[in-house]
Amino acid sequence: MPKITIDGKELEFKQGQTIIEAAKQGGIDIPHFCWHSSLSVSGNCRICLVEVEKLPKLVIACSTLAADGMVVQTASQKTLDARNAVMEFILINHPLDCPICDEAGECKLQDYAYEHSVGESRFVEEKNHKDKRVQLGPRIMFDGERCISCSRCIRFSDEIAGKNQLTFVKRGDRVTITTFPGESFDNNYTLNTVDICPVGALTSADFRFKSRVWEMSATDSVCVGCSRGCNTEVWVRDNKIQRLTPRHNEAVNSHWMCDYGRLNTFKFVNDETRVDGPSIRREGQLIKVSWDEALNLAHDRLREFKTSEIAFIGSAFATAEDNYLFARLAKHMGVHNIDFARHIAHGDFDNLLLLEDKTPNSLGAELAGIKPEHGGLSFDEIMEAVKIKKIKALYILEDDLAGLGEEYAAALGKLDLLIVHAVNYNKTTDYADVVLPSAAFAEKNGIFVNFAGTAQRLKPATTTLETDRALDGMSMSRWDVFGTKFDRWANGSRYDARPSWRIVSMLSQKFGLKLKFQMAEEVFRSLSEHNKHFEGLDYDNIGRKGALVKNISLPVPEKIK
Amino acid sequence: MDFKFTEENLQRIEAARKKYPTALAAVMDTVYIAQEQNGYISDEVMSEIADVLGIDKVNVLSVVTFYTMYHTKPMGKKHIQVCTNVSCMLRGGQELYEMVCERYGVSNMGVTEDGKVSVEEVECMGACGYAPMIAINEDFYENLTKEKVNEILDALQ
Amino acid sequence: MEKIVLPEIKDLHLIEVYENNGGYSAAKKAFARSTDDIIDEVKKSGLRGRGGAAFLAGLKWSFMPKTTNKPKYLCINGDESEPGSFKDRQIFEYNPHQLIEGILIASYAIGANTAYIYIRGEYHKWVKMMQKALDDAYAKGYVGDAMKATFGTDFSCNIYVHKGAGAYICGEESSLMNSIEGHRGYPRVKPPFPAQNGLWGCPTTINNVETITNVPWIINNGWQKFASIGAEKHPGTILYGISGHVNKPGVYELPSGMLLTELIYEVAGGVPGDKKIKCVIPGGSSMPPLRGDQLEGIRMDAESLKAAGSAIGTAGIMVMDEDTDLLKVLLRIAKFYHHESCGQCTPCREGTGWLEKILKRLASGKGTSSDLDLLITVANNIEGNTICALGDAAAWPVKFMVARFRDEFEKYVNKEIQLPVKNKVHAMRGTAVPLADIKH
Repeated sequence: MPKITIDGKELEFKQGQTIIEAAKQGGIDIPHFCWHSSLSVSGNCRICLVEVEKLPKLVIACSTLAADGMVVQTASQKTLDARNAVMEFILINHPLDCPICDEAGECKLQDYAYEHSVGESRFVEEKNHKDKRVQLGPRIMFDGERCISCSRCIRFSDEIAGKNQLTFVKRGDRVTITTFPGESFDNNYTLNTVDICPVGALTSADFRFKSRVWEMSATDSVCVGCSRGCNTEVWVRDNKIQRLTPRHNEAVNSHWMCDYGRLNTFKFVNDETRVDGPSIRREGQLIKVSWDEALNLAHDRLREFKTSEIAFIGSAFATAEDNYLFARLAKHMGVHNIDFARHIAHGDFDNLLLLEDKTPNSLGAELAGIKPEHGGLSFDEIMEAVKIKKIKALYILEDDLAGLGEEYAAALGKLDLLIVHAVNYNKTTDYADVVLPSAAFAEKNGIFVNFAGTAQRLKPATTTLETDRALDGMSMSRWDVFGTKFDRWANGSRYDARPSWRIVSMLSQKFGLKLKFQMAEEVFRSLSEHNKHFEGLDYDNIGRKGALVKNISLPVPEKIK
Repeated sequence: MDFKFTEENLQRIEAARKKYPTALAAVMDTVYIAQEQNGYISDEVMSEIADVLGIDKVNVLSVVTFYTMYHTKPMGKKHIQVCTNVSCMLRGGQELYEMVCERYGVSNMGVTEDGKVSVEEVECMGACGYAPMIAINEDFYENLTKEKVNEILDALQ
Repeated sequence: MEKIVLPEIKDLHLIEVYENNGGYSAAKKAFARSTDDIIDEVKKSGLRGRGGAAFLAGLKWSFMPKTTNKPKYLCINGDESEPGSFKDRQIFEYNPHQLIEGILIASYAIGANTAYIYIRGEYHKWVKMMQKALDDAYAKGYVGDAMKATFGTDFSCNIYVHKGAGAYICGEESSLMNSIEGHRGYPRVKPPFPAQNGLWGCPTTINNVETITNVPWIINNGWQKFASIGAEKHPGTILYGISGHVNKPGVYELPSGMLLTELIYEVAGGVPGDKKIKCVIPGGSSMPPLRGDQLEGIRMDAESLKAAGSAIGTAGIMVMDEDTDLLKVLLRIAKFYHHESCGQCTPCREGTGWLEKILKRLASGKGTSSDLDLLITVANNIEGNTICALGDAAAWPVKFMVARFRDEFEKYVNKEIQLPVKNKVHAMRGTAVPLADIKH
């Protein structure tokens, strides 16, 4: 392999890689604004100018191909001078908005100014003025003064989203970015431009002014909007999810996620409709009771039915662990009618990320054992059987069946017993006899398996009554670390909810099945020991990037743009 | 008020397209033709150009806003361009420019109320050896003095 | 002296007149020779580009790949927007067919079947003249498919005029290509160079109008004759454009390497009122200006001007007499580059505006001596750090004008004024600095 020397470090690189790529691979970060590993090279910001031995002028690391034997200096005096010069130029017309700018704290310009600037400006003239509050699209706000014309958003829209909707207009330092007059920057991927904007020029209309970046904790997670399972970070303040951002995983979602997933898959976690503690129906009303009382009632009532009259509905919204124990309980009880509902929105997909299956874990649910066994009924058959009262008791794991349509709601009305695990009150809980509050995806550990068979980890980002940010080793914001319990920001709502696997294991004790798991990780270990698809997998080797499940043939997914 | 190219202009656009392997490359010629027909390039003119060439609208917008000779607002019937760059400036170009502005009571890119005249301070027009110069629409007037300019402008009315 | 580019023949722009004077015979001769032979001939002639960089034309042609399955293109740069330059329009007006013939020969040499003549938009009249000449040449079968029969060759080439629309930057070869492709005139990052990756990603050569117009003469008269004219390392004639404070401004075709003083005092008739010269810009406004008291002995060719601390550029000579206000001149130049900066890359986009703002402040009497140093360092920070040469072009006049005429500029600065506020950005980094220690 050819070798390049960067700052005295000899690095191997692949033919065709640029200096910045070779450096990145070798752990050397060359400052950059306009360069993005998934976009074409534009070379306009000039901050990545580096010195290459034997070349008369500095070259930009983002477009200059690495060559065998090349010697590069990224911290020589000449390089530092050029970098400072570029920083000074970018800053002369950049407004001092940092105190009110959403980007502050995760702003490349701010970081580099701290790292590479001299700390004093020689610019005493009036700064240029441009439009500061432009509604570029329904979800995107644009501030022309903050823009450093790196063109990342323009290139993203054209090259990745495939929507050529943004352009530079005018010339020189009057240049700004706009859509065609009267048109809106509106496609399902616009919010990615906020992520890749190296400054605060593009901000999310949804997140704008919600929180300073350092006041939030960020936790690795997975989007629950569809079966792509885009890797995300969940940003939390006051124990409330403030926003989701995509997390880089080249094999799953690259750097991106869709606007739909970003905006519609976390608000229910913060919502007032959360189920807070178990409840049972008495005289038509749901009454809050203790866990024990609720579970006892669930157990006692289930015992009233023949196993052929009972059906278990697993969930593609619940984790593999949840579904696994749910299936174990069904098996223990001899219930063969076990399946889960598919949520397929026919035609609602695109060529980038969005898939028709609007659940994050249908493959995981199936592989973990949610499928009819020994002549048991499938989901559709179960629902038919409910209608004719052949099935009299349903135990539903985290799914709003009544929300699927009138027909389903009517069927649920005919049941003699309905036990439901639910994150939020919904149409299904309206019919439930026992409602068991389950922790949301953002409150628990667990595994989702995406459409392509990649097992991916969820981690708790918000706390429930039984979890603790510090004691449970959750990610902490500066406020979490330095605040006290008397501070206002500690006052976010915490719900009495538990991961479904725990609820199922508690219930299983009552049926004489000893599922003694303390942690999700132990449940998963048991799953990997008992299930060939999860063989050899554990939380560590699944890690941040996921790992493929085994012994299954799936079409190889296309590479994300 | 819909903008549509005339049949003749559509043919000219078709001829322009044949010069290049891509339709996008014909955009500059097409904007010129549109400006000739409509006087200036409005948003709907840009839409129509995009339609006729089968290119994205933002591509038209980005080009129209880059080049100074494309006007997104109506200019005067007579668009007077006065060069004030160095060679002209050394020979009185700046004074000519101020005189012309004063004469019509407009500033740079201003249009008289009757819409007959607009004035633009332009960069070097490539007439340095014949400075100072002005251009009215497409015609150059060179080796000027204030008197000569006044004569030329008098004749406009 | 024989004129190569603008011979003094009446109505030479008419195709018949051009034909009667041996027109299109060089092309016929060229097509009978091998392409390597033609490139070699032009290489040996020492013909250098007349657009500013003075690069060897034949060498440039030789960069074109011989084996490629992509089409190849020739672009003729007639954007002519450099202040002080007004030579190419003479060729469009007086000798367009020699340009066309040159294009045919160059296209043949590099294997291009399509050539674009990029003419700045403001040159409406000359665009029409060039188009007329081209139409005539097509009609006579010198261009396009018909040329195969006319010249008895397998080679054919189409030539199109592309009209610019007001953007100085399009004279930069890669923005010129982007402009032809229908984009904003943004320069491209190099490498890749046009010979590998030019118009529509295909191998492309870009030559200046004047450069190419020399080619038929070289084919007709041989490289030796061309090489013997003018300066040894920059041979041939040059279209000198002389403007500003001279009695007879205009374009003059004369051998390269002429004494600058001879051009000003004899060819252009000297300075009106016999005033002294304060400053001369020898090659268009981007080139470093020379002091009037430095002109003795300076010759107009690439090597001599380089030695004198400037460059030949487009050989557009701007003369300024002793009464010229150099601050106004420099402010006007800075305003020009600020207006024309495309805005793509940071140093030029931000720096050109900053330079103009500082100079404006100086002109309004609110400058200090340290602003002069600031001008030079800002210019230095732009220079060499940009995508294209416009950065250098904007930086050089400021940097060299201030440095070479410091005495002149010191007159404008107010030594009393100290700026009240200096922007301090996170001066508190590291350990806290007592407020009293922060000097404003």
